[in-house]
Amino acid sequence: MSQISDEDRQALRDGFARYLEADAHEEKLRSGIATDRGYDDAIWNQMAEMGLLGIAIPEDFGGIGGGAIDVALVMEEVGKKLVPVPFVSTCVVAAEMIARFAPDSVKQDLLEKIATGEIVVSTGGSGDFVALADDGHSLTAKSAGDGWAVSGEVSFVSHGGHADYHLLGLNEDGAQSAFLVKSSDTVAAKRLTTNDPAQRLFKLKLTDAEAINLKGINADGINQVAMRGIAAAAAEQAGATRAIFEITMEYLRTRYQFGRAIGSFQAMKHMAADLLVEVESATSAALAAAKALDAGAPNAAKFVSLTAFTCKDAFREASAQAIQMHGGIAYTEEHVAHLYWRRARAGLPVFGSSDEHREQYLKSREAA
Amino acid sequence: MALLDKNASPEEITSVVEAWLDENWDTEKRCAKGEDSYDEKAWLTKVFEAGFCVPSWPIEWYGLGLSAKQGGIIEKAFAKRKAQGSARDRFHLGAITVFKVGSDELKRTMLPIMLTGPICCLLYSEPGAGSDLAGVRTKAIPDGDDYIITGQKIWTSNAQEAEYGMLLTRTDWDVPKHRGITFFLFPMKQDGVEVKPINQITGESEFNEVFITEARVPATHIIGSLNEGWKSFQTAIAYERLIMGQGITERRGKSKADSEPQLITLARKSGKYGDPGVRQKIAQALAYRELNGLNMMRAKEEIMTNGSSSLMSLGKLAMSRVQHGEAAIATDLLGNEALLDGDDNPDAANVNFDAAKAYMNSIGGGTDQIQKNIIAERVLNLPKEPEPDKGMAFRDVKSS
Repeated sequence: MSQISDEDRQALRDGFARYLEADAHEEKLRSGIATDRGYDDAIWNQMAEMGLLGIAIPEDFGGIGGGAIDVALVMEEVGKKLVPVPFVSTCVVAAEMIARFAPDSVKQDLLEKIATGEIVVSTGGSGDFVALADDGHSLTAKSAGDGWAVSGEVSFVSHGGHADYHLLGLNEDGAQSAFLVKSSDTVAAKRLTTNDPAQRLFKLKLTDAEAINLKGINADGINQVAMRGIAAAAAEQAGATRAIFEITMEYLRTRYQFGRAIGSFQAMKHMAADLLVEVESATSAALAAAKALDAGAPNAAKFVSLTAFTCKDAFREASAQAIQMHGGIAYTEEHVAHLYWRRARAGLPVFGSSDEHREQYLKSREAA
Repeated sequence: MALLDKNASPEEITSVVEAWLDENWDTEKRCAKGEDSYDEKAWLTKVFEAGFCVPSWPIEWYGLGLSAKQGGIIEKAFAKRKAQGSARDRFHLGAITVFKVGSDELKRTMLPIMLTGPICCLLYSEPGAGSDLAGVRTKAIPDGDDYIITGQKIWTSNAQEAEYGMLLTRTDWDVPKHRGITFFLFPMKQDGVEVKPINQITGESEFNEVFITEARVPATHIIGSLNEGWKSFQTAIAYERLIMGQGITERRGKSKADSEPQLITLARKSGKYGDPGVRQKIAQALAYRELNGLNMMRAKEEIMTNGSSSLMSLGKLAMSRVQHGEAAIATDLLGNEALLDGDDNPDAANVNFDAAKAYMNSIGGGTDQIQKNIIAERVLNLPKEPEPDKGMAFRDVKSS
């Protein structure tokens, strides 16, 4: 449940949206892409300043005690501007995992540092942060003194280059465990070439890397964390879907051919009206999932699956059609449309494919 | 009934209405207390006199001056006892339109009659004016204090029972199409009005053709002003779309949320439920339906806080994909069986009915294509298509 009042929530969102409108324009997006981190640090710092990095962290641990709905509203704004910050991995997935499973000795410190923006945490890029075996990793862990040492290789780690901790899962003979691996000389990060230039994926090579064992993880807890991660990523996609759609509509109103605005052609209008259904459905699904999670509703998993494939598919469709509807201009790198389109594609396998979520959703609709 | 006003709490309203119903309505016999059978006119008159008919309208116009929310409480109390007659300020399109745009004289003479009678039928579409509704050609020619009407209307529901129809006519042929239309409250029970049911592809006959031959309507029954009928009509159509949208959400609300969707049951029966391709299709179809429900819930919330919502206009379009899509999946699941029909083959009969009935949503009340134009122009502010008949006298406009 969120501890933030409706009014404060609205003010927070409006304030953040205003900031992004002024400071997260396309030029900033592109200059951020040219840096190692992929984003402008000023945006991350501003998010810390506004309390947004601790939005999902309880007040006692340095956060502002928001719920999934607050995360969703922030992520919608992040998505609109394609800001490639490590929010979902650090402030949702890692924060939730730490709050639930980290030893008391480090919990307070780590959560406070997340809320203030002092640390960034990476997770497996597939989002499947507990069982990464499919990504060809070969991690092993052994206890070393007071802590643990993790060795091996793991790939598709988002923001793995500059993260202070890496949240990594092991699946040894069916026994799942999760570790927070500290960045140091014992972690070698190799950046992977990505299709979305704003995305940062790394292959990590760990050699007895110092790690905190998140003991006591259990399937239910991990599932709860995953649902929050999925809902946050979906809200980001819902925001991005709306933004690229609005960019396209503006072009249809102002681009003239045959002596008339191209938006006056029915061929365009009908595509636009169909897309609006997808845009609004994505928003509705994202909100429904967040509300169900905050209410602890028994059907929360259903809404999370629904929002996962609805938002992935809506973003893919709206960004792909944006290029088509713009025509040649969007076939150029200077135009922003391909950045939305690449981000949509980058999101497809994260936290499970649309088809997998559709299958989950169907199961949730079956008679008990 | 001066007991209720704007400050009345929900509890006060409920108790006043329930007391009134206790006194006047026999829930068991479903008629007025002390009667043996239901006399619609007499009962509606009772409700009308109590003000429960149109509670959100001002007291001088037969209402109670309550808010829409307060009116909803009255509606609920009536529904609980299955008593008719409340919420006519939400559902009686004809009365709502007359109340909103009619002259004081028309309101004073006709509203009491309309509100205590059956709902009005809508005499809008013609064989030559469907999507392009402003192209109506039904003639209204002045004759003394009356107008004489000749023309043909189509897709008219409730034409058999209706005492009055909301009629779109052409009164000036020498101006552009939108400027020569007059909107009438037209008496149906007269010579020169012939109603013929239409046999639909579903096997039903919900709609009628209405043939009007030199029938009469008093000039005082013009809704709004002469030749400004298109403006008055906009009020009527806006309410109609609102009611259709509400209908969708209310029907959705009634289906049991946790019962298994029919498509799943049908797929199990057909032995194809294990097919991953089938499962994906069914999941997506169910999702489209659920997403539309979520959109309409958001629309309702927006209407409560802002008074309007552009989401409302998406419901009908989204529903077309849902209905045609579900029917197509169900047809495939049945395979050969879908070739059959009739009472002996209930699954096939249902599927074939649904496949045909889906057009009711994708054509009725404006085709999907017209709906997309409207969404694009009114919600997305895309520019209008050039209109070849713009500025042209209606007389000179090409017709098929």
